[in-house]
Order: sequence, then C-alpha cells, then structure tokens
Amino acid sequence: MVRLTINGRVVQAEKGEMLLVVMNREKISVPAICNHGAVEAFGACRLCTVEITKNDWNGWKNYVTSCLYPVEDGLIVSTHSETVINLRKTLLDLHLARHPHSEHVRQWAMEYGITQTSFEEIPDGDDCILCALCTRICDRMGFAAISTVGRGHGKEVAPPLNEPPPDCTGCLACAQCCPTEFITFSDSGTSREIWGKQFEMITCKECSKPILTKDFAETLSKTRNIPADYFEVCDECHRKATALTMGKISQWQREDTAS
Amino acid sequence: MNHDFSKLPDIIEKHPKSPQSLIAVLQDIQKEYHYLPCEALKLTAEALDLPLSKVFSVSTFYNAFSLDPRGEKVIRICTGTTCHIRGAKQIEHQLETQLNIKSGETTEDMKFTLEVVNCVGACAMAPVVIVNDEYFGSVKLTDTRKLLKGGNNAN
Repeated sequence: MVRLTINGRVVQAEKGEMLLVVMNREKISVPAICNHGAVEAFGACRLCTVEITKNDWNGWKNYVTSCLYPVEDGLIVSTHSETVINLRKTLLDLHLARHPHSEHVRQWAMEYGITQTSFEEIPDGDDCILCALCTRICDRMGFAAISTVGRGHGKEVAPPLNEPPPDCTGCLACAQCCPTEFITFSDSGTSREIWGKQFEMITCKECSKPILTKDFAETLSKTRNIPADYFEVCDECHRKATALTMGKISQWQREDTAS
Repeated sequence: MNHDFSKLPDIIEKHPKSPQSLIAVLQDIQKEYHYLPCEALKLTAEALDLPLSKVFSVSTFYNAFSLDPRGEKVIRICTGTTCHIRGAKQIEHQLETQLNIKSGETTEDMKFTLEVVNCVGACAMAPVVIVNDEYFGSVKLTDTRKLLKGGNNAN
C-alpha cells in the first residue's frame, strides 16, 4: 500500500497501480482520450498529463502522463495546475490544427477554452488522432487485423498491404472505440462493409434483425466455445424466450399450489 | 516484376521461429530482393506465427525496408545541411536527368533507384552520395556518370 496526495487529498493505492487508474477510482477526472479499460495504457494522447512532486524534491516538479506512471509513496499530484492546463491547451491546439474538421476534437478543445487553433491549420487533415485504440482493441479481440502503418507525419491506421484485411471479422470493435468516429462502416441489414471488406450478416431466426457477421460468429463459437446455433437468434429474442419459459414455470408453480 | 520466390522459405528458415526474428528475416529478404515483396510478407507472417498486420507495420516503419521494387543499385544522395550547402541539390538534379527519373523512383530496367536521405553523418566529406553501401565524398557534378557506371575513382 502506498499513500499519495492528489489535489490535496490523501489517497491510498496498491503499489504498481497506474496514477490514472487511481484517479479514476477516486473520481478525480482528467481528460484521457486514448485510454480504455479493455487495453493497456498507451500514452498516445498525452492529455492525462499531471504535475507531480515530492516533499524532498526541493520544489522541483515533473510532468508525466498519469496513465503510464506507477504510483509512489509520498507523491504529490496536481491535476489542474496552471502549467498542466497550459500543456493540455497546447496539445488540444495542435490537435485542432491537424484535425480541423473533427467535431469531437473541437469539443475537447472547447472544454479548455480553445475555439480556434493558433497554429497553421491542415485543411485536408483527417479525423484520426493516432491514439491506436482501434489497433489495440483489435489485438485484444485476438484478430490483429489492422495496425499503424508508416512513421512520423505519414503514420496512419490501415489494414496490411492496404488491402481488405484477411483477419478482420467485421466485429466493429475498432469503429465503436474510435474516439473521433473516424473509422466508418456501412450496414445494410444483410451485409456489412468495413476496411473495404464485405461481410455477410446473420439475421435473427425469430425477428429477422441482423445480429453479427458470419465470420465473427464462427470465430466466437470456435475460440470462446459458444455453440454455433446460439447466434441464430438475437439477444432480445433469447431474452424473450427465457422470459416465456420463466413465465410458464411460475404458472405451473401457481397451479401446483392451487390444486 | 517476376521474382523467383523459391529462396524465401530458406531465408526464413535460417532464423529461429519466433516473433523476435522478424526484423532479421525482413533484412535478409530485403538484401536478396532489394525490396519486400507482398508474398514474402505473407510467408514471413505465417512462418513466424505473427499477424500480417504486425509484419506490415514493422516493414513500413523502418526506412531500411522498401515495399516497392528497387533497382540493383540504390543511389542515396545526402541532403543534410552541409551537403545541401555544397551542392547536393545540383547533384540530385543531374542524376535525375541522367537516369530520367525523379528521386524516390526506380528506372524501368530496374538498374537504379534514386533516393534522398537527410544526413548520413559524414558532413566532413560533403556532398556525399552512397551507392548501395559504398560512400563517396566530395562528389562533383562531373562525377555522376562515373558513379552510375561503377562508382570507381569517384573520389
């Protein structure tokens, strides 16, 4: 157990825990766009930067990304000091210059009072902030169908060889966790398209609503040991069937007690 | 581009079958073919039990790897500050005219690839041109033909 002070409050934490995890638990909020509970911290967005110091540091301060900083005994953290806020403002200012069309980036910047970037805007800048959440989630799902490609200013998220990714199952995890909704897909009921790959959808046997892609269902039943016929019916209809069974059982019980 | 890919399994087999071998395998493939063919990436991914996306990510990250076919001779012109001052741009233009390609491109007969690099750390002998792995310093405009021919006596 270690004891640290965050914004003047003494907090206890396990040794080795990351500062951001502790702050989340203590309901101390800092912006953390590239952070996601399902994957390891990555430190891409830098917005969770906080100011740290210790009593024996003689007034020296350090600025660290809290998502990647393991807590220590005697740490004194301030999440919204003037310097930290200025650091975040600069980051958001840069984001705004690079992704001028992203409504999300605009909103994050607005929260720190930035409505117009002070840097030169990239007029055709896309909405990808390169947080790599999509590729990390894809790894976590066990597919690793997409990855970051290239380096420096040419870096982007793309499927291998820029072809429809062979390992993609169309699960949409990447699109759903994308903080700027940059990853697009199209659903037409019976088919889905993402990363330039076409998928056939399984539709519910009962209500004919599309459930998930055939590829994803096959992978799930193989790797997670789920019976293949589980995906023939959607969750809602599964629940309806369960409710019906439960209703019948309680009716029998009532009849039993009555007779 | 038709390549003989029969050597690929041998190249891959020379290395331990683990993800750590990835860069070493890619380097050997690059040495053999002067670039990384798509087939090679797929085979490597399969052999090392890595997702294709990871292999692609690594091969696009390092400048030492090229995904486009390159010529037998890769000519790199240093355009670092010192080389720039001492006429790297003119040498680049001259080579571009002589080979009839732009820098970054490869001649149609697959003999030459022209590239510019930022600094090779040999500023004392600027301007520097590197032909494959051989360094030539104090290159003059009159030297470029010799560089293309065999690179001999360019100093």
